[in-house]
Amino acid sequence: MKAIAKAKLNTLLDAIAKESNLLVPVSGDGTSKFAPYTQGAQLSFDGRTLLPPKDVFFPQTEKMYKFKTNGMNASVETALEAPRLQVLFGIRPCDAKSIHCLDHVFLTKGYVDEFYKAKKDATLIVSIGCNGPAQPTCFCKSMGVNPQEAEGVDVHLYDLGTDYGVVAKTEKGEKLFLDKYASFFTETTAQVPALADFPLEVNVDGITEKLEKMFDHPLWEEVAKKCLGCGACTYLCPTCHCFDISARVAGDQGFRFRCWDSCMFSEYTRMSAGNPRPSKKERVRNRMLHKLQYFKERYGDLLCTGCGRCLSKCPVNMDITKIIKQVREADLA
Amino acid sequence: MITEQMRAIAKDLLEKGEVGTVIGWEKGTFWYNSTPLFISKPEQVDKLVFDEFCANNLAKYLLDFKLAETKTAVFVKGCDARAVNRLLQDNQVSRDKVYLIGIPCPGMKEAPKTAQPQDIAGLPLLTKCKMCATPNPVLFDVMVGDPVPDKKVADRFAAVEALEGKSADEKYAYWGKMFEKCIRCYACRNVCPACNCRECCFDANGLNWLGKQNNLPETQMFSMTRAMHVAGRCIECGECERVCPMGLPIMEINRKVIKDLNELFGPYDAGMNLDDRPPLGTYKLDDPEKFM
Amino acid sequence: MSEIALAQNPVSPLVPVVCKITKIVTETPDVKTFHVSTLDGKKPFTPMPGQLGMVSILNAGEGMFSITTQGENHLEFSIKRCGVLTDALHEAEVGQNITVRGPYGNGFPLDFCKGKDILFIGGGIGLAPVRSLITYSIAHRQDFGKLQVIYGSRSPADLVFKEDLFENWTKVPDLELNLTVDRGDESWKGNVGFVPAFIEQLAPSPKGDKVCVLCGPPIMIKFCLQSLAKLGFKNENIITTLEMRMKCGVGKCGRCNIGSCFVCLDGPVFTLAQLQNLPPEY
Repeated sequence: MKAIAKAKLNTLLDAIAKESNLLVPVSGDGTSKFAPYTQGAQLSFDGRTLLPPKDVFFPQTEKMYKFKTNGMNASVETALEAPRLQVLFGIRPCDAKSIHCLDHVFLTKGYVDEFYKAKKDATLIVSIGCNGPAQPTCFCKSMGVNPQEAEGVDVHLYDLGTDYGVVAKTEKGEKLFLDKYASFFTETTAQVPALADFPLEVNVDGITEKLEKMFDHPLWEEVAKKCLGCGACTYLCPTCHCFDISARVAGDQGFRFRCWDSCMFSEYTRMSAGNPRPSKKERVRNRMLHKLQYFKERYGDLLCTGCGRCLSKCPVNMDITKIIKQVREADLA
Repeated sequence: MITEQMRAIAKDLLEKGEVGTVIGWEKGTFWYNSTPLFISKPEQVDKLVFDEFCANNLAKYLLDFKLAETKTAVFVKGCDARAVNRLLQDNQVSRDKVYLIGIPCPGMKEAPKTAQPQDIAGLPLLTKCKMCATPNPVLFDVMVGDPVPDKKVADRFAAVEALEGKSADEKYAYWGKMFEKCIRCYACRNVCPACNCRECCFDANGLNWLGKQNNLPETQMFSMTRAMHVAGRCIECGECERVCPMGLPIMEINRKVIKDLNELFGPYDAGMNLDDRPPLGTYKLDDPEKFM
Repeated sequence: MSEIALAQNPVSPLVPVVCKITKIVTETPDVKTFHVSTLDGKKPFTPMPGQLGMVSILNAGEGMFSITTQGENHLEFSIKRCGVLTDALHEAEVGQNITVRGPYGNGFPLDFCKGKDILFIGGGIGLAPVRSLITYSIAHRQDFGKLQVIYGSRSPADLVFKEDLFENWTKVPDLELNLTVDRGDESWKGNVGFVPAFIEQLAPSPKGDKVCVLCGPPIMIKFCLQSLAKLGFKNENIITTLEMRMKCGVGKCGRCNIGSCFVCLDGPVFTLAQLQNLPPEY
């Protein structure tokens, strides 16, 4: 296996940044997220970032098209730009899994979302494995994610202690990373260390099938009581992808954009005819069922990767693992 | 021990049918999480706890029960009790529908973020608790435990004064950097006991008071509007700042507003008692009007 | 569905094409029908009956509407005035540019309906989506058995598509038309009463695997379903269209889900049998 010393990583990142737009995990100001690499930035390689990498492909606000009106006339001009090649460096296996889930949504079932696809196609993804939970709230292992391995990425780095072991997962990764930066890599025979225990575990076997019988279960009323109906969980979630489409208009011109939306907000499903999800019971239930039942039924995967972000930042400690446990223990009338 | 006394009181209330629901705290995911709990049966009282991690202000949940036919009991720390006073002053809940169980609060602790239990005494106080001047409930029907001694509080306006000393450009740069981080999850608004509008103007879709783009002007618009809207009604529980996932210093804005109000209308602490109305909710002939 | 043709837009299913209003028919005091063509006078796309189009007046908003019917070179949307966007549409004049994207959704199950008798039931503006299939079945008259339309509105003035109701459809062979209004006026000679009661009074027979296509306000649908059950219609043969808040139209933005179905993609047309397998959240 090829390898690079962690101490030399910055020289590699410098080289990549010279040629491509390089996004790395950066921490500061009480938060951490993927941001353009700058020399001297505080890189955050100790586990997942607070903000997920989903905005690299699916920005919180994205202009779709500009328009002009002139009396009765109107014109529309797309805002889809051809992005230059970018390298997304250092996502964790939980986030790699989340991108796989986003691919289902934006690239399949009859319609391809060009805004997402353009950015995804132009991105080389380099992941880093975790040898244990970086945060107590990590439970990826329970969600079928191998913490040390990542799927759907171009290059994967194994954490070998002082080195990263570097393996190409796609042809793109081989050519544009391993071959291109070959001079930075040495050979190693080091083994990936044993995986540490995760303090938070949950069994999801059969959860979808159980939930299919629980739409009307009193559990939802119970678990929803403490929910504040804010969007912290959905906005920090690497897989939550629901969006709104809205417009900014000034006089005779404007643009239409899409932006993240949250199923936790009362306004989300409100229509002139009423709201099919009028209270937090229906909204919490929909979020949980979307993650654990509906998405699995539609795309074959659970829509939770066990990154634990929602759990770490929920104002009221709403715990998806606890809800899964409650579902498993629930009596079916 | 306080937890035992809470359970006994809750059990008694539920057994006698004096209340329909008791709102308290239970242990959450880890030893350093305590989380809101709602119980309606005597056999559930053993879940109730009170420890150094019961930071959640429970008062706002009373809004979910204001149409309940039965009384609702809620455990209140000093800040929670002030929040109840505020809700009562806003006629959001009626006093005869709530039963308040006061708990003197020694201050809540920061979560250490490690699953291994640690010495709780060594953990730092939450920022919001360092600034707290009312650890003892100002309103209650029954009190659990003994009042904690009043403590000397760090000067709560120190950060505001430091900011006031900066130039307009420096202030704009400071807040710009902060609000750029805002993800508009509305956790601050939704946790706030002063934000008790039946429908928030920012949720009134169609009216488009606030665009949904996540950018600096829109987040500033949201945060500043919210700060102005809770002016004179903020009880300084600090929940907004505690729950902000992006760590924004929201209380600095709220305290700036409080400081300005104090200077304009005289010292006022919201929610301390039912009779003192908020300065912007009363009219006096000698009110200053130079800003009008 | 393989027959779905995307609107002629090379970029994205989310970016619309600019079209213009070529004709406006005032149906009722609060419903207008808009004929829409591309700027060069063509049909924006060719939808199947029951499919949807996302219509926008650019500076007022964007909304999903059923495509009432189509002509050689245009689409028709019948729209009730009830909000910001629909207000703007009702203020629009012929020649006004609007944008359209689509077609979205599954449409009515034509293969299932072919060769069968069809009972159409509409209430108020709910006749709009049903009309797409009525028009289709009239145009392909030989493919269908007997047709019956039961339609009701609040008052005679609120009946939509009066030209169809009192002219065009009266000339179609083997098409029985039954109208009712909640409250009549001096000139109204027809039935007065709610649609569900009218159905029971007319007692259409479900025999011969008859299909019922139903659309109207939720409360009407609820009671019509009870009436249809009494008459012996099978759940598999009762077809209706649902309305949910929609933004993208292509099953991605998330808000129109009912269970794992998206109304914009897997609907809006469902049989009652299908709906009974979905969570009751619509």
